[in-house]
Amino acid sequence: MATTDADLGSPGDLDEGEREAVEHLLYRLADDEFVLAERYTEWQVRAPTLESDLSLSNIAQDELGHARLWYDLLEDFGYSESDLVWERPPGEWRHATLSEVPFAEGDWADAVLRSYLYDVAEGIRLSALEESSYARIRDRVPKIRGEEGFHRDHAEGWLERLATDSGGLDRLQSALDRLFPHALALFAPTDPEIEDRIDDLGLRTASLSEMRGEWRSEVEPFLSELGLTVPDADRHTPHGRGGDHTGDWDDLHDDFTHTYRELGRTEARRIMVDPDEAES
Amino acid sequence: MSYDPSVEADPDLDPAGDPENPNAVGSAACSYTEYEYGSIPDAADLPATGEGSEGLAADVWNALYGVDDPEMPISVVDLGLIYRVDVDEGGDGSEAGDGMIGAGDEGASVTIDMTLTYSGCPARDMLTGEVEEAVASVEGVEDVTLRLVWSPEWSLDMVTEAGKERLREFGLSVE
Repeated sequence: MATTDADLGSPGDLDEGEREAVEHLLYRLADDEFVLAERYTEWQVRAPTLESDLSLSNIAQDELGHARLWYDLLEDFGYSESDLVWERPPGEWRHATLSEVPFAEGDWADAVLRSYLYDVAEGIRLSALEESSYARIRDRVPKIRGEEGFHRDHAEGWLERLATDSGGLDRLQSALDRLFPHALALFAPTDPEIEDRIDDLGLRTASLSEMRGEWRSEVEPFLSELGLTVPDADRHTPHGRGGDHTGDWDDLHDDFTHTYRELGRTEARRIMVDPDEAES
Repeated sequence: MSYDPSVEADPDLDPAGDPENPNAVGSAACSYTEYEYGSIPDAADLPATGEGSEGLAADVWNALYGVDDPEMPISVVDLGLIYRVDVDEGGDGSEAGDGMIGAGDEGASVTIDMTLTYSGCPARDMLTGEVEEAVASVEGVEDVTLRLVWSPEWSLDMVTEAGKERLREFGLSVE
């Protein structure tokens, strides 16, 4: 992965337009991961088997790890963890609505189907970042890809298992009808002009519409094979990428920032004191 | 102790971005050098173990061998987490490295590139803190910059032979 002439260079080398494009791309990536992980954790101690409980908890931990890798790159520009997570107003989050809508109560079919729809999309967008013109993004892709493989295996295994039973198939169909418009939101623009700039700068090597086409051509045959009917639906409005979200997002945001606010925090606390600080 | 603002440090360690202090790591778009980019080591050359190092560099490696993984009795070096160590003794110019700003006559600047086995590692701050502390306590070291890197991706192949032996003794099935 040698640097190429097209490389944008270091965080400090970017001009204003380049930095804006990098930031939009990073918020897309990080916010999806963070918010979906928040939802996944609701299954802790509630999943149908101990094995699946551990698996989904572990997947949530992976997604939080990946969110952290992307937020780190926003910190390059001077933002703190509090700016990025704990104090960012809900209307400035750029995740797709697929990450934020609650699970239908007790509906494991929703959890595994959502994981499948998301993880296929994540694989496609990581492929489009492998040759990113921004080295700081490119260098993180293999690590994340390496940790994504089993998410797909987990989701597909459960989908196949649920689909063998007519009750399970009904639940999957109902989840698919509900989630599919939100999944299409994954490919919505934060701002059409800036998304074009992301492509023009080579930050990503496939456009949103190309990725959506690839995603559809992968998920639709697989779901049909299971016996499901893929709905002929439009993307959900609002889609989330532009900052407009469903009411469920306000509730979730309120929930995960609750402790920070209740304790009157103004910065994210560290378990360890920076050793350099401790000595002085 | 001071950080060299020209290179990336672990943003977790100082996320303040203090506008009052432009030298604070994490402050807005500071001057990064090309040093950190495009210099990804070849996986075949990893892990870095400090073999053959002398003088202060050997002391730094010894300190790193003293930091164990939080879950297993194996040092971060034998686990293959250390990708690179640069010791810039600045003043005497004997090991000036890669465009680093010299630390003056008082002591050496040490830069460590380190990875983690897992992106979601909950011990990230603890481990990076321990590594920094261990290296900072080496006599002759003035400041330490720890950079978390993710390429190439860590794998079991990066564990040293001695490390694999330790893991087997610990009861893990390794090759």
